[in-house]
Amino acid sequence: MGALSIRNVKKSFGNTHILKGIDLEIEKGQFLILVGPSGCGKSTLLNMIAGLDDITSGEIAIGDRVVNKLSPKDRDIAMVFQSYALYPNMTVRKNIAFGLDIRKVPKPEQEEIIARVAKTLQIEHLLDRKPMQLSGGQRQRVAMGRALARNPTLFLFDEPLSNLDAKLRVEMRSEIKLLHQRLGTTIVYVTHDQIEAMTLGDRIAVMKDGEVRQFGSPQQIYDAPADLYVAGFIGSPSMNFIPVQLHEEDGHAVVELDNGRAVQKVRLSPISDSQRDFVGKQVVLGIRPEQLTDPESAHSERGNLQTLQATVAITEPTGPDTLVTVTFNGIKTVARCHPRAAGAPGQQVELTLDPTKALLFDPASEKRLA
Amino acid sequence: MTASRQGAPGFSLSRLADVILPKLVLAPTVLACLVGFYVFIGWTAWLSFTESRMLPRYEWAGLVQYVELFGNDRWWGAMQNLGVFGGLFILVSLTLGLLMAVLLDQKIRFEGAIRTLYLYPMALSFIVTGTAWKWILNPGLGLEKLAHDWGFTGVTFDWIINPDFAIYTVVIAGVWQSSGFVMALFLAGLRGVDDSIIKAAQMDGASLPTIYTRIIIPSLRPVFLSAFMILAHIAVKSFDLVMALTGGGPGFATDLPSIFMYQHGFTRGQLGLGAASAMMMLFTACAVVMPLLYSELRRERRG
Amino acid sequence: MADYQQSLQAKLIRFGIYAVLVLMALWYLAPLYVMLSTSFKTLDEIRAGNLLSLPGTFSLDAWSAAWSTACTGVECGGMKSYFANSLKMMIPAVLISTLVGAFNGYILSMWRFKGSDMFFMALLIGTFLPYQVVILPMAQVLGWLELENSTGRLVLVHVIYGLQFTTLFFRNYYVTVPGELVKAARIDGAGFFRIFFKILLPISVPTIMVCLIWQTTQIWNDYLFGVVFSSGEGQPMTVALNNLVNTSTGVKQYNVDMAAAIIAALPTLLVYMVGGKYFVRGLTAGAVKG
Ligand SMILES: Nc1ncnc2c1ncn2[C@@H]1O[C@H](COP(=O)(O)OP(=O)(O)OP(=O)(O)O)[C@@H](O)[C@H]1O
Ligand SMILES: [Mg+2]
Repeated sequence: MGALSIRNVKKSFGNTHILKGIDLEIEKGQFLILVGPSGCGKSTLLNMIAGLDDITSGEIAIGDRVVNKLSPKDRDIAMVFQSYALYPNMTVRKNIAFGLDIRKVPKPEQEEIIARVAKTLQIEHLLDRKPMQLSGGQRQRVAMGRALARNPTLFLFDEPLSNLDAKLRVEMRSEIKLLHQRLGTTIVYVTHDQIEAMTLGDRIAVMKDGEVRQFGSPQQIYDAPADLYVAGFIGSPSMNFIPVQLHEEDGHAVVELDNGRAVQKVRLSPISDSQRDFVGKQVVLGIRPEQLTDPESAHSERGNLQTLQATVAITEPTGPDTLVTVTFNGIKTVARCHPRAAGAPGQQVELTLDPTKALLFDPASEKRLA
Repeated sequence: MTASRQGAPGFSLSRLADVILPKLVLAPTVLACLVGFYVFIGWTAWLSFTESRMLPRYEWAGLVQYVELFGNDRWWGAMQNLGVFGGLFILVSLTLGLLMAVLLDQKIRFEGAIRTLYLYPMALSFIVTGTAWKWILNPGLGLEKLAHDWGFTGVTFDWIINPDFAIYTVVIAGVWQSSGFVMALFLAGLRGVDDSIIKAAQMDGASLPTIYTRIIIPSLRPVFLSAFMILAHIAVKSFDLVMALTGGGPGFATDLPSIFMYQHGFTRGQLGLGAASAMMMLFTACAVVMPLLYSELRRERRG
Repeated sequence: MADYQQSLQAKLIRFGIYAVLVLMALWYLAPLYVMLSTSFKTLDEIRAGNLLSLPGTFSLDAWSAAWSTACTGVECGGMKSYFANSLKMMIPAVLISTLVGAFNGYILSMWRFKGSDMFFMALLIGTFLPYQVVILPMAQVLGWLELENSTGRLVLVHVIYGLQFTTLFFRNYYVTVPGELVKAARIDGAGFFRIFFKILLPISVPTIMVCLIWQTTQIWNDYLFGVVFSSGEGQPMTVALNNLVNTSTGVKQYNVDMAAAIIAALPTLLVYMVGGKYFVRGLTAGAVKG
């Protein structure tokens, strides 16, 4: 039995269907990320797990208990909100104790819990302040403290870091990860930030328009995205999509890339059955920028690297690498190069492509051709 | 092992409470609102179609009361008075309120104190206002005597007992009471105008009066609208002020629909006619407010 | 030179602005001054002097007459019992309508359900209606209920027709409070009432003030409901004042009228002085509804 099972869960408000049948299951101690664009239904799903929204149909089980008809307080969960939702009229101490009070935890035990939580999150010196007197980061910690105090079987986080500035966000991100490793609790974490998703999650559910487009480990989602949407959503800068015509040569998939001066043939992995159906047709070639790089940076031990010529249009230094924009088949394509090999606009550069990492998609169904 | 727990609580009491309590607590208000407004309006409407006099009767009698109402000179006089009073009251209050707000917006010292002075009449009952002005406008001992004492012996100021002018005394008292409030509305509106717009206009070389007339005041359109609606609302149901100031007199010179309604419905035993006049007041209120509200809603929707 | 002229002009304009503002202030103050000074005069002084003349001797006779001996029709007990009536009606009506309004606002913002938004609209429309259109049936219903006590009748009526405003105040405040606060409290295990009393009410103090002050002035100053739904000794202050002023028997005692008018105005003036900030906020908030 999983720690959390979501079975064919749907949600509608009147005639608008917000969630169209979600199926997810995670094991105890796993860190599940719900990621997707704004309005795709992440918060709605989380609220339904928490019992704050009604489930239109389907079933949610926490541990081995179906919780559809349980109120939030009987679900043994704790939740951290984007706005932190600290009770403004109570001190930090009272904020943390509120839930314990309601559950009739004896005072001495409350004190112990508060002390422990405060120590874990390093908020001991803030205990007697009101939320108004705290910085954003401090409020964030208190909100986590309130959740930790309850020691629930399931933690829910709704974009807890999105109100923090970039630096603090990175800091808190690793703290949350550390906390998870130490406490081993099961976590469901909503974010629309794909970096947060990749760094924190054991399991990621990529959502779009009320559906889960792909559910898997971060590596699976990165290496083998199920469709164009997932491929484009995960990874930064995002994957290049180049329309190409698919050919077959010696059992390999072959495509042609036109850099504006010459057409270059690229030999990809051995062709699969599903790809074979598309031979002679238009498909979409997906290449991540980091798989398109200068020969020097390419992992030379990998044989079979393809070399491509291209004209530099724009260079964008990021520090460690420089993003080089070139054109293939009329589409702007980003390559990640060593700063020294980036060239300048107008110059010809030589790029290498790892053909085993290149992906092909059906432009109609948008599914990856496995 | 799971069987027993899976089935555990099929529902929980607190969840039931979450669903039921809000509705339960809201229920009395729903009842009060539905009965207090909507059922009662229907009821009044029904009464207006009966021949009720001292006691309500519920047999359908068609439009007799409306026929009587529309043939009633006093009613038309009251409606006319309402038109004069309402029109002037709204116009003067808006003008005065806007003027004071603009002047007060010029970084005035003691602004808070001045604002407090302008607004205190709003805390008074219309009965108190009416009583005070009735005394001030007293033809023998009031303003007229003051003018005489100051040497203007030729002055006569008997508006309050002069049928041709009495309605204007109601306007004066009404404006005295409400214009400060309009000022507060406009001032809040002025404070809400984006500073950067004004700065940009100043950069373009616009003078202060131009900035006000061309940029700021037009942007106060919503404030005009709500001020207008409140004033219109006050005017239509205005009752206590006239009762205290003139009692509707002299004769019927300051009679208003609200007084007509009160007297027929409660003191003259003409329930049906009272109900018909109440319905007409409702229509008047709707006629004034609805078109404005509608046009504003449409504007908003168009963006 | 030009600079000098310009600054002179600017000074003149500013002087003009202040002059207009002060004149306006005087016009607002004059009636209050007239009321006060008249109330301290004797009838002879009133006849001899004029509106603006100061009282010669500060006589409190008119005040004591207004409070305890002035006649309204046949009754000659002054205003004190009517003042008490108004208090007895106002206090419960204000408290009940505020508390219920707070609950309503809480439900209409934090516990919305199907139809709750529509109900809010229905309630809002109610604020536009002239009360004349409901008083005939109300009088009938109060008759059926056999509620003879004037104070009781007025409390009921003021609560019913005050709820729209109190609900509006609280709803408009609570929609600005993040709903996540209530969600967090629910997950912490708090129920409907605990969330309201422990979390929302403590942060609603300004709205409570607005509401209390608004209702106090509305109910204290009401005349229509008072004259329609109360009778005889049970009438509120406004009705008694109007009766006093319009009693046609005997010599017209303007000083007593004015003293009574000030007595009638005192509670709300006091409220205005203490909580003016909230009063204005209530007016402008109530204004949004129209
Ligand atoms: N009460 C409601 N009635 C109707 N539609 C709603 C309601 N609540 C949410 N929605 C809609 O449901 C969709 C999903 O909302 P949700 O808050 O779950 O999005 P989200 O993925 O969390 O987005 P974000 O990243 O912006 O928080 C949105 O399109 C929203 O407009
Ligand atoms: Mg969300």
